[in-house]
Amino acid sequence: MKGPRPTPRSSRARVRGATIAAFVALAPLLPAAAVAVGTLKVDAALPYVCTLPSGPQPATVRITAAFPERAEAGEEIRPADVTTTVEFPGAAVAELTALKAATVRAESRLAVGVAQGEQRAEATWSGTAQPVAVPAEGPLTLTTTGDVSSLTTGTEGELSLTAGAFGVDLALSTAEGAATVPASLSVACAPAPDAEGRTVFARVPVGAGAPTGGPGTAAPSPDASSPSSPVPGLPLPPLPSDPAAPGDTAGTATEDPGAGPRADEGLKAADEDTPGAPAPRPAAPPCVTKDPTPMSLSAYITGYSNVRKQDGASLIPLTCVLMEQGDPEIVFGGTEEEPETHLINKAVGRLSTQGRQETPPFKGTFLTFGFAPTTATLVLEQAGPMALYSDTLLSYPYNISETYVRVPLVLRVLDARVNGTKLDVGPSCRTEKPLSSTEPDPATYPGDHMVLVGKGLSTFGGDAKGYLLTGGGPLVGKVTIPAFKGCGAKGENLDRLLTASISGSDNYVRQIQGQTCNILNPFPPINPECTDDGQPYQVPRAER
Amino acid sequence: MKKSIRNLAVVAGGASAAFALAVSPASAVPSTVWTVSPSPASITALNSGNVALSVNGITMTCTKSNGAGTGASTTGNPATVGTITTMVFGATGAPCTSVLGPVTAVPVTPWTIVAQDYNAATGVTSGYVGNVDANVSVGACNFRVTGKASSTYTNSTGALTVNSLAGELTVVTSSGCGSAVPVGAKPTFKGKYLFKAGTAIPTIVGSNP
Repeated sequence: MKGPRPTPRSSRARVRGATIAAFVALAPLLPAAAVAVGTLKVDAALPYVCTLPSGPQPATVRITAAFPERAEAGEEIRPADVTTTVEFPGAAVAELTALKAATVRAESRLAVGVAQGEQRAEATWSGTAQPVAVPAEGPLTLTTTGDVSSLTTGTEGELSLTAGAFGVDLALSTAEGAATVPASLSVACAPAPDAEGRTVFARVPVGAGAPTGGPGTAAPSPDASSPSSPVPGLPLPPLPSDPAAPGDTAGTATEDPGAGPRADEGLKAADEDTPGAPAPRPAAPPCVTKDPTPMSLSAYITGYSNVRKQDGASLIPLTCVLMEQGDPEIVFGGTEEEPETHLINKAVGRLSTQGRQETPPFKGTFLTFGFAPTTATLVLEQAGPMALYSDTLLSYPYNISETYVRVPLVLRVLDARVNGTKLDVGPSCRTEKPLSSTEPDPATYPGDHMVLVGKGLSTFGGDAKGYLLTGGGPLVGKVTIPAFKGCGAKGENLDRLLTASISGSDNYVRQIQGQTCNILNPFPPINPECTDDGQPYQVPRAER
Repeated sequence: MKKSIRNLAVVAGGASAAFALAVSPASAVPSTVWTVSPSPASITALNSGNVALSVNGITMTCTKSNGAGTGASTTGNPATVGTITTMVFGATGAPCTSVLGPVTAVPVTPWTIVAQDYNAATGVTSGYVGNVDANVSVGACNFRVTGKASSTYTNSTGALTVNSLAGELTVVTSSGCGSAVPVGAKPTFKGKYLFKAGTAIPTIVGSNP
């Protein structure tokens, strides 16, 4: 089970008018003193599986919070005293000590599914922790606290909260206070299979007609060290093990089978298409913008580059791109008879890998001369500014965009093995000039550089599709890989071998750009764009 | 070359005007008593079809939008028959989009539902959504739009159809948007929301006793 499960639609189920508004605005935590009589206390410990660099590891995620035992329709429900604790086993801790980590500071994100009857909303509970010492052995417990979203629903009925995907970023420091290498780990976790049926951790009745017949209830949590403690003295009905289970009666008090929406009114479609919670952020290399401005954007990019001569492709790994966008401009063009309005966006960018303008190293495996398997460790080095130019034709009802990414890249060979035997390529084995593409505007953009193009389209009232400037998408092009020079050592010249194996034209490149992160965006987006420390949240996957 | 933008504005404005003419035959005597049923009502709203915002030809679309508020009988003309206290554009996994990327729209509420005219034959109230105020961002471009948006409410379907006329909404602040979305730009807002009060469809009836 990965994240909250959608509630199956029972045959009796009808879409009701309830709409849950998960406030984007953050509600600061209430002090403990504000939580008095009439408070539902939640303490749930759930089994999770976390993906560490070495592979999946079991972990326990414990959620504590306090809710009002009952709320009125339209009343803001503010979770208080929220803590999220993750306990990693000793095996996971060993991975941190192997990096010489002595202290760790955690930032967590818990996807919380909020449901009322058929209605769904999602919230992310973020938390931070003070640095704690990494134990030499044994489990590591990290408790985070932070701001969480308040909830409001305009309709009566039981509100349930379900734990979903959990992510934690670990900032690691050595005993001397220096950053480890890597300096951080992003760990993605999902409820373990045996958590199924237990991920609902709180139920809050809303309105006098709420269906439970009692106050809010914390979901049973057999693993909790301190079991849920609803307000004493009030009768509690037996809880279904999962709101999704057959026979679930949540919401039946207000359900009116005859009052469902008309089939053509969109409610049904919207309900069936309820999106899920954002997945926790997979591990990705650091992508930090120092001294960001309001125009600073950052994004990850990854994808494949064919080597036509070898009839193969190399995966160019996740690479951080830092950009500085210019002011968008409206430009008028076209002809007198058919005038056009264009929106021009320009930006300059650079690759960023541990402070160097290059990709992380990646491997390419080729058959040299058609029979000798050759594996090379490669890196693309940026040899000049990256220019981004986006031209959007603003017609009605269409917006049509073309985005050009131009960047001079030199392909460097760090290491090569033929038939398993290492070749000493020397310290300066590179293409003799940058990779090049056919440039549609050579007067403006002279010199050798790669050109990738992304195309997007939106219609008035329709979803935008394709490559979207800040949303990302596929960027494609073809490059010529020049001859190599400087390859070899101890009198052996490998230039011709590598040139014969790799260099050539018409190599198709397809890179996938992720959603950009506008670090100083004052308005938090519905889908997270940035991590709490200002790095791109979305990690794209390479596509062929 | 400014002709191009003017053409776009004429197209948009023309469409809006045609819509307004079609749904708002003025009654002989303006209504001054507005009966909302139930009253007071706790109202939820869910979009039916996509919601679209357009500014200077840049289109932004939300496939998901919902809101909540209250409605109550009142008197006067124009009359505030409802208040929108929460409004959400987009949803997790389904953000509002544009060709420039995902769009974040953060409403500053409350917004109002203002009734001006009632057609007893059709059960349609015409008026506007007032006090519209929202911060919108796309990438590094942020702007704030305020104003009102012409709308109609149909009792038989519970549908609030918002179709703002050119000039009703104005960009009042803008940063990082350059000449694409300058202060003073006139966005348009179009969408349809289905209202519910619990499981019932609320109704608005205007009269002049």
